[in-house]
Amino acid sequence: MKKSVRTLLLASTAALVALPAIAQERLVINSFGGVYEENHRRLVIEPFEQLHDVEIEVVTLYSADTLAQLRAQKDNPQFDVVHFSGGQEVVAAAEGLLVPIQPGELTNYDQLYTIAVEGIEQGHGPVYSISVAGLLYDETQIDPAPTSWNDLFTAADGDLVTIPDITNTYGLLTLLMLNKIRGGDLGDIQPGLDAVAELLDNGAQIVTSSPELQTAFAQGATNFAAYAADYAHTLRAAGMPVAFVQPEEGSPAFFITANVVAGRPNIELAKAFVDFSLRAEAQAGWAEAMRYSPSNKEVVLGDDMTAGMVYGQEAIDRVVRFDPDKVNAERAAWTDAWNRTIAR
Amino acid sequence: MPGAQGGQGLVEPIVLVTPGIALLFGAFLFPVGQILVLSVVPSGEELGAWSNFARFFADDYYIRVAWRTFRLSLLITAATALIGFPLAYAMARAPRWLAFLLLLLTVLPLMTSVVVRTFGWMMVLGRGGPVTDLLMLFGLSARNAVLLQTETGIVVAMVQVLLPFMVLTTLGVIAGIHPHLEEAARTMGAGFYKTLRHVVLPLSLPGLVSGSLLVFAISMSSFITPNLIGGVRLPVMASAIYQQAIHTLDWGFAAAQSTLLLIAVLGLLVPYLALMRRARV
Repeated sequence: MKKSVRTLLLASTAALVALPAIAQERLVINSFGGVYEENHRRLVIEPFEQLHDVEIEVVTLYSADTLAQLRAQKDNPQFDVVHFSGGQEVVAAAEGLLVPIQPGELTNYDQLYTIAVEGIEQGHGPVYSISVAGLLYDETQIDPAPTSWNDLFTAADGDLVTIPDITNTYGLLTLLMLNKIRGGDLGDIQPGLDAVAELLDNGAQIVTSSPELQTAFAQGATNFAAYAADYAHTLRAAGMPVAFVQPEEGSPAFFITANVVAGRPNIELAKAFVDFSLRAEAQAGWAEAMRYSPSNKEVVLGDDMTAGMVYGQEAIDRVVRFDPDKVNAERAAWTDAWNRTIAR
Repeated sequence: MPGAQGGQGLVEPIVLVTPGIALLFGAFLFPVGQILVLSVVPSGEELGAWSNFARFFADDYYIRVAWRTFRLSLLITAATALIGFPLAYAMARAPRWLAFLLLLLTVLPLMTSVVVRTFGWMMVLGRGGPVTDLLMLFGLSARNAVLLQTETGIVVAMVQVLLPFMVLTTLGVIAGIHPHLEEAARTMGAGFYKTLRHVVLPLSLPGLVSGSLLVFAISMSSFITPNLIGGVRLPVMASAIYQQAIHTLDWGFAAAQSTLLLIAVLGLLVPYLALMRRARV
């Protein structure tokens, strides 16, 4: 009797002493703030914390800044998982800042579209969300609905057409898409610049930010714009009769990736987190909340939602990805050329 | 005793100016010095010093941007002077309560952020705003040809933003002109306008000139109002510098443009200050 009490005492003391050693594991990740981060927490971060009994510290940091921090922390990295939306993973992987992920390490691998895992061989993480650019139009004013990027040039009201500035991601994508349609490539964007000049000659206007586009639609200053599918959803939610269409030539997009950072102690857990981001359940949540296109084939969405989205194999096949390496290398030169083209 | 006083005479001013000088050095002279160095030091190995300046002058795009900035600043200065001088004169000669009211109306906008004031103009000048509706009513304007994103729009908004600077500097000088001088001119047979032109205007010139310099210098370097009202298609020097520094990350070239802007403003201020000194002596 006495002995067992002592054993119990000993055991509990041991447990107390050992407690710090088995303290909760921690992951440090970045997210993009605002509504995005709210959804990120709800769909991925909090469920993962509960499932694996880990603590996740979220640092609000945009892609370019995250890459800058990763570079600065190369010898002593502070992030476990980083999310990028501007193709920065290509640069990070090339600089050895990321841990390559093998297809076998992702339980959701087989559920993903090819476009989502193309980069895995080059050592960066998979795509868990796609923000697609296309045409936004006022349903009450534009009939029939546009089907092609060329409709921008033949719009009945050329002065009600809006394109985003190149400093806006969608502006860059629009320029590259118009360039592609007009026969240019990433080595020569002059056809794209000529197309932009043509739109401006027709009276088109340029906006630099999303709220500016919202104001333009609200004031009737535009009824036809090149922009993001998810923003069409925002405008509809604000009560405007704005619809999205994926043009027949395809639509450029930016791809949000989850990547595992090299040189950290919890690489297995970080890989599990990336895998967790890919599951159909989370991606359905993203689609519902923000109209991001899922990269997971298994995501099932209702017709009421998919009308204004790029969704399903056929639509995803028409998503165009411009080589992020080349885009990053040429961005400054293109910005300069763009400014010269649009200046009055 | 005189020796001790002399020592004190040196210590006290030093103590008094140290915080100011420290702030000026840390927050102004040091960064400006860095910009100057950055503008001269070549950005690439193969480029010589001053290459950033050579690039500016060899490129008609940047010359056009600089010319627009200069031209608009002149227009803004002229317009503020034309509006500001009569207003300042009226304020100086109005009854006390009215002068106070006018002063309040002039200064009050300064209490609001320039961003807020500019947004107000965006509403007024934009589509659906009163100005556009009026213009369309008279058939003067096409549907989307509004004042927003035009040079006229920039000038209108900038004049409102900068008017207080002109009025306050001019008012100070006009208030110092004794009303007896005008009365004398009037009794000698000069009319109101003649008095204004030959007596008040010449005497208030120092105020008008310093107000104009202030307005011109601020116009040349202003960023928010031209950017929000003019949009991306009407770049001025400040927005070109912003583009280079933030979007294309060409800090050397941005620094060179900043330096040129500084030289342009100093080129006006320094001769003026020298003239004023001589006038006082």
